[in-house]
Amino acid sequence: MANAQEVKVPDVGGEEVEIIEVLIAEGDSIEAEDALITVESDKASMDIPAPFGGKVDSVKVKVGDKIKEGDLLALISAADDNGDDEADSDSTDEAETEQQQDTQQDEAKDTEADNESDSQQSEQSSSAKGESQVVEVKVPDIGDASDVEIIEVLVAAGDSVNKEDGLITLETDKATMDVPCPDDGEIVEMLVKAGDKVSEGSVIAKMKVTAGADESAAQDSKDNTEKQASSDTEERSDKAEKKAEQKPAQSTPTSERQPPVPDHSSQRSDRKDGVLHASPAVRRVAREFGVDLSQVSASGPKNRILKEDVQSYVKYELSRPKAAAGTMSGGAGGLQVIDQPKVDFSKFGEIEEVALSRIQKISGPNLHRNWVTIPHVTQFDEADITELENFRKAENEVAKKQDLGFKITPLVFIMKACAKALLEYPQFNSSLAPDGEHLIMKKYVHIGIAVDTPNGLVVPVLRDVDKKGIYELSKELLEVSARARDGKLKAADMQGGCFSISSLGGIGGTAFTPIVNAPEVAILGVSRSDMKPVWNGKEFVPRLTLPLSLSYDHRVIDGALAARFTSYLSQVLSDIRKLVL
Amino acid sequence: MSKEIKTQVVVLGAGPGGYSAAFRAADLGLDVVLVERYSTLGGVCLNVGCIPSKALLHLAKHIEDAKHMAAEGVEFGEPKIDLDKIRKHKDKVIGQLTGGLGQMSKMRKVQVVNGYGKFTGQNSLKVEGDDGETTINFEHAIIAAGSQPIKLPFVPHDDERIWDSTDALELKEIPERMLVLGGGIIGLEMGCVYSALGSTVDVVEMTEQLIPPADKDIIKSFMKQIKGKFDQVMVNTKAAKLEAKKDGIYVTFEGKDAPKEPVKYGAVLVAVGRAPNGGKLDADKAGVKVTERGFIEVDKQLRTNVDNIFAIGDIVGQPMLAHKAVHEAHVAAEVIAGKKHFFEPKVIPSIAYTDPEVAWAGVTEKEAKEQGIEYDAVTFPWSASGRAIASNAQQGMTKLLFDKSNRIIGGAMVGTNAGELLGEVCLAIEMGCDAEDIALTIHAHPTLHESIGLAAEVHEGSITDMPNPKAKKKK
Repeated sequence: MANAQEVKVPDVGGEEVEIIEVLIAEGDSIEAEDALITVESDKASMDIPAPFGGKVDSVKVKVGDKIKEGDLLALISAADDNGDDEADSDSTDEAETEQQQDTQQDEAKDTEADNESDSQQSEQSSSAKGESQVVEVKVPDIGDASDVEIIEVLVAAGDSVNKEDGLITLETDKATMDVPCPDDGEIVEMLVKAGDKVSEGSVIAKMKVTAGADESAAQDSKDNTEKQASSDTEERSDKAEKKAEQKPAQSTPTSERQPPVPDHSSQRSDRKDGVLHASPAVRRVAREFGVDLSQVSASGPKNRILKEDVQSYVKYELSRPKAAAGTMSGGAGGLQVIDQPKVDFSKFGEIEEVALSRIQKISGPNLHRNWVTIPHVTQFDEADITELENFRKAENEVAKKQDLGFKITPLVFIMKACAKALLEYPQFNSSLAPDGEHLIMKKYVHIGIAVDTPNGLVVPVLRDVDKKGIYELSKELLEVSARARDGKLKAADMQGGCFSISSLGGIGGTAFTPIVNAPEVAILGVSRSDMKPVWNGKEFVPRLTLPLSLSYDHRVIDGALAARFTSYLSQVLSDIRKLVL
Repeated sequence: MSKEIKTQVVVLGAGPGGYSAAFRAADLGLDVVLVERYSTLGGVCLNVGCIPSKALLHLAKHIEDAKHMAAEGVEFGEPKIDLDKIRKHKDKVIGQLTGGLGQMSKMRKVQVVNGYGKFTGQNSLKVEGDDGETTINFEHAIIAAGSQPIKLPFVPHDDERIWDSTDALELKEIPERMLVLGGGIIGLEMGCVYSALGSTVDVVEMTEQLIPPADKDIIKSFMKQIKGKFDQVMVNTKAAKLEAKKDGIYVTFEGKDAPKEPVKYGAVLVAVGRAPNGGKLDADKAGVKVTERGFIEVDKQLRTNVDNIFAIGDIVGQPMLAHKAVHEAHVAAEVIAGKKHFFEPKVIPSIAYTDPEVAWAGVTEKEAKEQGIEYDAVTFPWSASGRAIASNAQQGMTKLLFDKSNRIIGGAMVGTNAGELLGEVCLAIEMGCDAEDIALTIHAHPTLHESIGLAAEVHEGSITDMPNPKAKKKK
């Protein structure tokens, strides 16, 4: 261990702290200031950084350990040392032993999948030993072909290569193919030349791997595996347990952490529903968890599905990263957050519990879903509505004289302007298709208006806003708002919207960030207009200014487009003659 | 006087399904009102069905057994029948059980409303009772309104001598000669009772065998054993005409076993099946769909087409059996209480408490053939059972069906206590036992239930209590 240096716990405030996460694994290459571990005291959690860069020779701590200043964390070979030290510290040996056990037992299972993970592990242990990281690169499975001719050698000794780079090109009678580089690193030696014939397993190159162990890096490690397997170990304990323990240590700093997964071979005998072997109690528990018993592997005698099998299936499914999460269609998102702490508020003073209104109960989960699944951005802008307001007030005088029975509100103009802007920028008038790969463009312009009612927020939809006049929309808005406040809206009244407007102008505020009303892709928030001094080139003039807040779904709309949309909207509102263009 | 009450759950009908649903719901913390048109709880099963018939069958069995004992050296002489006393005994049995139910509903704070309940909406029903009208506003309803005997158009049901099962259980008289119209479980049970009490009983059945759902070999053994109990057993035959005359009911038969002349009977028991009461509840006012025949369709959680209304028991379909209703009742109540339970048994057992009893569960050989299931059927004749021979039951048999993976899929017995033996078969099927499991389970000796273990040994080829067809052949 000549070049390996000890990394110790720095000053952590004089107290003992618990390790809640280990971010490095043996064999990892790290740089100075990379986080090594995360510790948690009762006050805070913090990362402990690497004092220098290099390769991790061994990790001396694990999750749950309590450490204090001066404790040994890890052995790290300084960056320029790829030394060939012999590992000799106890804990290193232990780590090896564990892995050897695993490899050995896995070997016994003798399945291909297992061999792969073996390779991974044995590769790591060889790095852990501090042996040379030079690995042999072999020809992978190339089908049935053997003695395939190399028609081109694409790299030479000393070349830096990246994973998946082509190293050589082979030509069979059917096709040509590149043999990809198994990992990032540097070619030490090419052992073949054009014209040579190779088969699966032939060694073609030696390369120095720079990154941490990687599954494909270790195609050669089968040999290693066998070597290690032959060195016997005494202690054989439960393999699943060991595996679970090892998982966190194995993960590289970048890889996503996962809870220990019960060792569940979910794979699925070809049982048919008719011959499931599960007692009534097991069938019931399966129903409660919504488990399809035909998917559960049975561990009881004669393939009997036990309660434990259902439980471990559920655990397995829960621990599996959901493939659908985060796709464009915005599924549930698979958020895994901790529960809100339960607080007994009455400890701090008098309280009263009031039920949420029906509308709140229904809209809450929807708002929550939209908030967490839609990447929101809010664009702010202002519109000069001085002229608009003059015109509107004059028109209202006329309306009063003619006794039309309604007043024209600024909102109606905003709706018209939005309709115009939606036609101009049709991406705002779209929805994401469920497949996440298409946009559904709408050829109609229906706009939802958020209405505050005594029972909560509702969003009635006014149809074909682009085709209706100011008078018609004013009447309709008056009527629908009244029905909303009386709680007489029908479901159909609130469906089919393309875009929503939430106006808080009557109340106040300078700006806010509305939540997109999915499946719509944008919503306009309108705050209170204010008289502001505006520089007209010569002097400041008082102008009535309306603040606009446009929240949009960034998956569909990008920032530039949103800025164009709001400035267009602002132009139209500033000069409503544009509405008739 | 009219009252109005509000409850979380109302259960319509207090038969085994209804009271079980009500009690289960109450035990799960729900407010429950139980509506029953009769003054006692328990429904058909306790009042005019399973229980009183068993009280009478118990007597009948002992009368028959006593007769046989003469041949074995013990003679009792002719039995003296005191109908009043029998009736009282039967009523005592009923009273004990229904009284128990009354107490249990009080204990569970289940409010019982007596009267005829009919829906008035999706969340309300009206009960017409002796002491006025009660409107019940409910969140959930469980319809458990049961079934009633089918009446036939050509039968003069108004005549006192035309009985349904309820009439037969009243034991008004012991007719000299009676006809059981319908060779199903109910008819045969009552036929056994009247035969033991002294009537000459004929049975007429339209299909080719008595107890039509049971397997042929089981019924063949049954027919052998009931010889002498019934005078004429006419299958593939129907009663074409019933004429009520002063001196009796004259029945004209048609079909395979039909006598040429009309036969005179002192009483005719019509037992051709039961019809659901779905059409009598104004279910449409709650939006609940009722089929033409009066059934209410439900899903696996016993929910009708209306979300807050459930239905259980006879009214949701065959088999019309109390034990099915009880299990459905539990599921319905549990679902209302928020549990994700489903009604999905593998087997619902059927038993005829005749003498001898006929019992079966799971797939019958008939069904296996219809459904194209590959199976192996094995039988163990009770003539090879020491206990059966010692108990004068050697004519019985036990039959098991295994699928091609050797798992048990069905079982049937005919003989003394067959109904009691069936429990093991039901459990074995639900637990997914295979023949080996059953054969390796040590059954006590000498018992009748060991016939199940021995039948499994027949399948396994390890039987030693009788010739083993799978034994190695010696040269």
